[in-house]
Amino acid sequence: MRLFEYQGKDLLRRYGVPTPVSVTVRGPEEVDAALEKVGLPVVIKSQVLAGGRGKAGGVVVAKTMEEAREAASRIMELRIGGEKPSALLLEKATPHGEEMYLSVTLDRGKRCFVVIGGRLGGVDVESMQGKVIEPVPIGGLGRPLAEPMAAEMGLTGEQGEQLVSIAMDLERLSREEECELVEVNPLAMAEDGTLVALDSKVILDDNALFRHPEFSQLPPEDPLEGEASKEGFAFVRLEGDLAVVGNGAGLVLSTLDLVTDAGGRPACFLDLGGGSQRERVEAALRVVKRLPNARNVLVNIFGGITRASDVAEGLKNVVGEGGMQPVFARLSGAEEERARAILEGTPVKLYETAQEAVRAAVSAA
Amino acid sequence: MILPEKGDPVIVQGITGKYGSLHAGLMKQYGTNVAAGVTPGKAGETVVGVKVYDGVADAVRATGARSSVIFVPAPRFLAAAEEALNAGIKLVVAITEHVPIRDELQVVELARSLGATVIGPNTPGVILPSKLLKLGIMPVTSFRPGRIALFSRSGTLMYEIAHQLSTSGFGQAIALGIGGDPINGSTMVEWFEWARARDDVSAVVAVGEIGGDSEERLAQYITETRFPKPVFAYVAGRAAPREKRMGHAGAIIYGNYGTAESKIAAFRSAGVKVAMTPTEIPALLSANLRK
Repeated sequence: MRLFEYQGKDLLRRYGVPTPVSVTVRGPEEVDAALEKVGLPVVIKSQVLAGGRGKAGGVVVAKTMEEAREAASRIMELRIGGEKPSALLLEKATPHGEEMYLSVTLDRGKRCFVVIGGRLGGVDVESMQGKVIEPVPIGGLGRPLAEPMAAEMGLTGEQGEQLVSIAMDLERLSREEECELVEVNPLAMAEDGTLVALDSKVILDDNALFRHPEFSQLPPEDPLEGEASKEGFAFVRLEGDLAVVGNGAGLVLSTLDLVTDAGGRPACFLDLGGGSQRERVEAALRVVKRLPNARNVLVNIFGGITRASDVAEGLKNVVGEGGMQPVFARLSGAEEERARAILEGTPVKLYETAQEAVRAAVSAA
Repeated sequence: MILPEKGDPVIVQGITGKYGSLHAGLMKQYGTNVAAGVTPGKAGETVVGVKVYDGVADAVRATGARSSVIFVPAPRFLAAAEEALNAGIKLVVAITEHVPIRDELQVVELARSLGATVIGPNTPGVILPSKLLKLGIMPVTSFRPGRIALFSRSGTLMYEIAHQLSTSGFGQAIALGIGGDPINGSTMVEWFEWARARDDVSAVVAVGEIGGDSEERLAQYITETRFPKPVFAYVAGRAAPREKRMGHAGAIIYGNYGTAESKIAAFRSAGVKVAMTPTEIPALLSANLRK
């Protein structure tokens, strides 16, 4: 789960990382009260998860109350990557010089967390030159590892000491809150020489949420995605018009590729998961039914433990309820024959191979 | 990498659960010697003809098992895996899905210090069709004995591709799920290293997907060590969007990190033959191998 900047900054503050004074507002009417606390000039930042927020006009510096009110009203209505902000962050502007980079992230290849630091912040970490990478032992990042890191980044004296302490705080945050990524980009050197976190990107480990009930209360990014995860299947909304449903993440990914290669555009990725029961199949199809951009549905099942007949029963029931988009299905594997018999007389069209089903579904769109 | 031989005792942790008992029965049916089950507080019970013990140490003492298949729910996985490793289990097959990353890292570290192997988590397990041995949940009908080693990050794609290989006359010496999580107990490279030394393996098929860089690392390994057997690959997720987790915890592209394009390019530059769809794999093998 990805946190909004303001949620990430709340965490940073709680762990002792310096951030500018800021207030989160839910609408333009809260701006005046917020400005009293934050002061001018103020940076007004759209709280969306989409990237490219600055370029899209979602981050504005205001010098007067009028400018701030006007910018807040405008940004609140501005869609970025299709996403409308649910809040704005009003933050005291921090005049600063150098921008640096600091993050704690999972290194999948090395199979450990690493702290990454760099003197050239504001850019993408992949393309960042001269970054310093420090593997973190399971027990955490101690001073003996953080100090050489600061030195390698060329930070000495008071600033070196600040970096050591921020790196250790970030790592403790990452470990205790079980984050996949905690990133501060930029970590800015303010005019008085102190280091301040100007942005935050925090991604929580979804699988660890059961140990962090405070986060599992947060509303899901997408209501249908939230419903899906409650029902025990994986759902990702996409922009096309053909809903793609299957069992197993790899199989559904591969089906998206087949659809795209055939000139189709997937409306969603829906993985029923292994050993799917009829109830779960029905819940999944009802989510697809409510997906406004889905005009057709492709179901690709390779049944092993998942019985094709269970999927067929679920399909028949949901189609029977009415309102279902046209369904193109390939149900192979265990109890394939029974699945065929169950679906006889329903509008569901069955195909022998995934390729045939994909071709038919794409040409129907 | 220590895999059991035919007849070696295997234990199942979480055997009294719905999933654990179903698959303990199916493993037995296929030919695996499921010698004991473990569920705390259920000692003395019998599930699918298998005696249940309270702890792994008891089950190991009674059977001499060195392999365990774990089915417990994610919140109990760390404790179950630690218990197994500390009781002398040398091969842990972790079927459990949704394990927190930091729990996986702890298990990896403990296994490393004890010289044990972990497959998974979030894996369908491993099947050795010529030995009629399976430690996992895969449907056996997809698999036939043969000389191909099949390593996959995805479960159902592994079944589907094994099925295609089997019906085209390419049986498997081994089919193994690496796991769909960002952290794998054992990696593609480690299993290639295992396959390299096996006389009963003549070619390897790797099934990758978006996310991480295990395919890129594998390609580098193949090039640097001049891997001596033909390698074929398929990578799922060319059409996947960025920054979205696609079903598997590990299947996510961040920026340009983890794209299918990068993986396919890496494989090609290592001389690996890459199929664009799962159904292309048998044809690719036919064109390049003798059956």
